[in-house]
Amino acid sequence: MRNALLVAWRDFSESARTKGFWIGLLLFPAIIFAFVQAPKYLEKKGTPQRYFVLIDQSGQFEEIIEDGLERAHQRRVLKSLVDYGRENASLEKAGRANGGKKLDLEDIPAPDVSGGAEQFLEEFAEANPDALEKFLERGGRDMMLERMKPYLRADADAYEEPKRRYVRVAVPQGVDSDAGTSVISETLKPFLRGGRKIRVEGEDQKLYAAVLIPADIEGLVSRPGQPPVALMSGRHGVEYWSSNLADLDLHNDIRNVMNREIRRKAYLAAGMDIEAVRQVERTRVPIATLNPKKAKGKEKVSMADFLRQWAPSGFVYLLWISIFTISQMLLSNTIEEKSNRIIEVLLSSVTPGELMMGKLAGIAAIGLAMIGVWVGSLLAILAWQAGPEVAFAQHAFEVLKNSHLLPAFFVYFVLGYLLYSGVILTIGSLCNTLKDAQNYMGVVTVIMMVPMMTMFFIPKDPNGTLATALSWIPIYTPFAMMNRMAADPPLFEVVGTTVLLILTTVAVLWLSGKIFRIGILRTGQPPKVLELFRWILDAVRGRS
Amino acid sequence: MTASAPALEIENVDKRYGDFHAVRDVSLTVPAGAIYGLLGPNGAGKTTLIRMALEIIRPTSGRISVLGESSALKVRNRIGYLPEEKGLYKKMKAWSVIAYFATLKGLGRKAAKERAFELLERYGLKDFANAKTDALSKGMGQKVQMLASIAHDPEFVILDEPFSGLDPVNQEVMEEIVPDMANRKRTVIFSTHVMQHAERICDRILLMAQGRKVFDGTIAEAKRTLPRRVRIETRDSVRQLEELDDVEEVEALVGDEAEEDAPSRWELRIAEKADPQTILQECFERGIRLRSFELADPSLHEVFVRLVGSEAKEASFR
Repeated sequence: MRNALLVAWRDFSESARTKGFWIGLLLFPAIIFAFVQAPKYLEKKGTPQRYFVLIDQSGQFEEIIEDGLERAHQRRVLKSLVDYGRENASLEKAGRANGGKKLDLEDIPAPDVSGGAEQFLEEFAEANPDALEKFLERGGRDMMLERMKPYLRADADAYEEPKRRYVRVAVPQGVDSDAGTSVISETLKPFLRGGRKIRVEGEDQKLYAAVLIPADIEGLVSRPGQPPVALMSGRHGVEYWSSNLADLDLHNDIRNVMNREIRRKAYLAAGMDIEAVRQVERTRVPIATLNPKKAKGKEKVSMADFLRQWAPSGFVYLLWISIFTISQMLLSNTIEEKSNRIIEVLLSSVTPGELMMGKLAGIAAIGLAMIGVWVGSLLAILAWQAGPEVAFAQHAFEVLKNSHLLPAFFVYFVLGYLLYSGVILTIGSLCNTLKDAQNYMGVVTVIMMVPMMTMFFIPKDPNGTLATALSWIPIYTPFAMMNRMAADPPLFEVVGTTVLLILTTVAVLWLSGKIFRIGILRTGQPPKVLELFRWILDAVRGRS
Repeated sequence: MTASAPALEIENVDKRYGDFHAVRDVSLTVPAGAIYGLLGPNGAGKTTLIRMALEIIRPTSGRISVLGESSALKVRNRIGYLPEEKGLYKKMKAWSVIAYFATLKGLGRKAAKERAFELLERYGLKDFANAKTDALSKGMGQKVQMLASIAHDPEFVILDEPFSGLDPVNQEVMEEIVPDMANRKRTVIFSTHVMQHAERICDRILLMAQGRKVFDGTIAEAKRTLPRRVRIETRDSVRQLEELDDVEEVEALVGDEAEEDAPSRWELRIAEKADPQTILQECFERGIRLRSFELADPSLHEVFVRLVGSEAKEASFR
């Protein structure tokens, strides 16, 4: 035991001294940091202002489009104000203003899980057009800043309004706005391709997009029950020209604004009261998601439930990353000792069993240290970054602490790590160079990809066939069961799969111990499968 | 264990790897305090024998006891081992490698560190104590590894090819370690295929070829396996000496009998019990004018070549 600890300590302290370890340790927080910071930076500085020309030969949509784009901009202003408020609000002040009641995750309704938070906000705004209306009616930005003031921290930064993303510019000289759209688009092409520049406030700028609305656009609108005129006549309708096909926000804004306008006209034509229609459009049925497993009166699915539901996926990912990373370390560590022939001296001092145990423990410690730093830095960055996220992180932590996810993670990490490291140690003992080992590792990697691919399917049907089947395959048990943890899988499955996993792990470790013993002194080519099989047979029979 | 227990006892040990018979029926007793040389051509089974003695691998059949115990694992803290293929942790410092292996052999952390510095200083590596091992030259690395194998002051040391790949100066420094150990009543086994080393250092040798024991005994005994020879330098013919009972064969080494003036060198193979003095007297009586007369002691190299020469060649062509 003493020797196993000595081996473990050396493996730990020596790995901790390598550059690779520190790079791995710091890279992740750096990426997280960049991930958090980059969008903010881009929002402020990076997103370029884009210039477009609008030629509306029908004369009906110009104002509406400009108005629509202004509203889109105001919506962004509103959103950025909300964000600004969140970032700079003092939690205490906000708490007082909220009647002393602390923000509670259990009270926040779960968002629609099919989309991200962004979409959630977007939908929120769509569903409550009042929010923007109210914002504009009551004085917009200045009013909001004024009302926010009491809640802001003393050292809050000054608010910076986001730049207008799309700026309409005058049609360049030499373009005849009255010509046919095909003529106009031909003359605009050099600008759109970037060959020619437009002048904006004395500076040369690239023309980002051109929107051409033909005079007879009314007649090209496709309406239900009527033949598709545009398609039949081979015309385009509104032409949106741009060499950037990735950013379609302008395209979508214009489409939405114009659709709303022609629908408004259609309602009028049908003799309907447009205000009544708007009112009707705002009618909504309330729908609550309820969980029958929760206590009576508290069945409503809350943010905490949502977290509980999805946290396992996060844990699966963490589990996967940890096992994969640590396996790689174990492999290179074993191969170093083997290719340096240090192993022989070690084996004259410690038993192969002690060596294996020491390695498993030492490398696990180094891996856990790394993952600990990753998780810690993630939380630290969250804490440093934004106010409400801290509360969120605290709540999330509370939720996790009170669930059985953390102990489950620990159990599955230990078992999964031991199982995979048994395989890795075997590979390490059979190969003399990392290059040899990569061939075997390729297979292991492919096998390990499966939990990654099923990670997001399993929570949707946590007790379904796929999830159950994977749970009973020992190499996938840790991932699949971790993934299902929130859905309270049947007890016999939890116990059964875990017992199977333990048995398999013991068997694999025992076998790999045997192969390790023979393989570790071997030089030259890795053994052929048949030879390996014979070793295993010998091991089972108790020889060697 | 009693003080008189042999350091190593090997009885009828066999080791097979599938169809390959690496060690065949070898028996050997290494008395405590001996310096034992393990000689033999490449592939003779020396390393396999050593690994079995240390229980790194197990024999297919036969019995091995080390320091009076049936398993080397029980007494591993009293054994030191330098394997044939040398290697060190590349990123560790010289002293910490030595200290690490010493702690694995039971020394406390602090004692191991002190011992490491002490050894490095004694064998001239003081300045490199804090160097990473991959910055050391091959010879220095090998020294460090040798020191690591004896850092816990084992009573029984097994050195597999300790001097291979070293320049003569470093070889000498390394060789010092062996008598140093012997002076403190430690047992040393070392394998080599450089006969001069064995001749200089060993009390006894085990000669192996193709997995078999070819010879086991003292150096003197080994030399006695070769017929004794007398070398004579003279212008006269010594063919006539062949008629003596003591002389088995007369062989001209250099020069031609026909050339009258040229001094020739001759080698006489003499009977085992013959007295060279008598032969010298015979020369005087027969009027042979000697320029030199010497009793040629066969070198261990000659013994080696004669005992395993054909097999060694065979092995190298396999």
